[in-house]
Amino acid sequence: MNNFLKINKKTLLILLFFLSVIFLVTVLFKQFNITSIDESILSIDPKFDIIKPSFTINNEKEKISVSASNGNFLNNNKILLKNNVFFKSSSFTILSDEVTFDKKNQTAVSESSSKFKSEGTEIISEGFSISENGDIILFNGKTSLILK
Amino acid sequence: MKYIITILLFFSFQTIGRESGQTEITTDDGIEVFNKEKYYLLKTNVKIISDEYELNADLVKAYFKKDLYDITRIFSDGNVTLKSSKGIKASGEKIDFNLINEDLQIFGKNSLFINNELNMTSDKEIKINNTTGNFKINGPNSRLKTNKIDITGYLIEGKFTQLANVSEVELLNVEDETQINIKTETLDMYAIRAEYDKKNNIIELFDNVKILRDNESISGNYAKINTLTESYKVTSKESGRVKVLLNKTDE
Repeated sequence: MNNFLKINKKTLLILLFFLSVIFLVTVLFKQFNITSIDESILSIDPKFDIIKPSFTINNEKEKISVSASNGNFLNNNKILLKNNVFFKSSSFTILSDEVTFDKKNQTAVSESSSKFKSEGTEIISEGFSISENGDIILFNGKTSLILK
Repeated sequence: MKYIITILLFFSFQTIGRESGQTEITTDDGIEVFNKEKYYLLKTNVKIISDEYELNADLVKAYFKKDLYDITRIFSDGNVTLKSSKGIKASGEKIDFNLINEDLQIFGKNSLFINNELNMTSDKEIKINNTTGNFKINGPNSRLKTNKIDITGYLIEGKFTQLANVSEVELLNVEDETQINIKTETLDMYAIRAEYDKKNNIIELFDNVKILRDNESISGNYAKINTLTESYKVTSKESGRVKVLLNKTDE
C-alpha cells in the first residue's frame, strides 16, 4: 500500500494550515519591514529641509558643482548647506562643514574650517567665500597654503 | 558628522607642513584669489618659506600663470624681508620680485640688498637683475659697498658678476647733483659723476673732482685713475690748472 495513502486527512489539513500561516507571516513581515525602512529614512532628521542637495555655479570658464548631505532654506534664495559640503570644479575642490549658498547671486559663504585642493595647491582656512561666479575666492582667518 | 569633519580639518590643519621641494605660506588674515586676473592676495603677517627663500611681509600679491602654485611674480608690501639660501638678503618697504626674469626691485626708506659681500642701500629704490647682474641704486643715501670699494651718490648703476660666492662690480656709473664719493683701500675720490669699467681698470671722474691719497689732495675737473697701478691723471678744462696740496707729516 502506498505510504501517502496512510496519512491522516486531518493531519494533512493541519499541516497545510501551518504552511499557509508561515507563508502569510513571512509576506506580511517583509511588507512591514519595507514600510519601517521608508519611515526611518523620512525620519532621519526632520530638522533638514533638503536631503543631499546639489547645485551648480556657472562662470565663463567653468562649472562649479555644489553638493552637501543636508540643507535648510533660510529664505527664497539662501540655503544653509550642512555636512560634507563640496564645491567641485574641473580645477579645484573645497570641503567644508557649513556653507550658506545664495542661488540668486551664485555666492557661497562659510565660517567653518575649509579645505581647498587644486593641482599642486592645498589651502586650509577658517572659512571661505565664493563670489563673482567663482572668479573670486576668499579664504578667511588664519590660513595655511602649501604649494607643491 | 559635523564634529567629525571639524576634527578631521583640525588635524589636517595641524599636520599640514612643508616637505622638501614645497612652499609653505601662512597668513593671519586669509587669502583672496582672483582667478580671472590670475593673482592672489595674502593678507597680514605673511610668511613664505621654500627651499630657496624665505619672505616676510604685511601684504603679498602673488601673480600666477596657470594655477596658484605656478607663481611668476611676488609683490610684497610693508616691512618686507627676503632671505635666500644663496646668501641674498633684502629688506624694504616694498619688494617686487619677478621669478621669471629674476628681477628684484626694493622700494622705500632703508632699502637694503646684500649678496654675500656686496651691500646696497638706498632711501628710494634698488633694482637688481640676478640673471644679467645689472643693478640700479637710486635716491637719497644710495650706497654700494664691497670689501674693496665703498661708493655713495644719488644714482649708482652698473653691472656685477658673480664668481662662486664673490660679487664683483664690472661696470659702474655714479651721479649726484652735489657730490659722489668713491673710496678704495688707498684712494678717496669725489666728483659730480664717475664711470668705471673693469675691462680696462679705469675710473673716470667728472666735474668738481677731488682725489685724496695719504697726505696728498688733488683737485680738478676731470680725472682718470688706473685701479691696478693706482696712478692717476687730473686735468682742469676751464683754467688748465690743477691744484695739488701736500700735507706735512710728523715725520
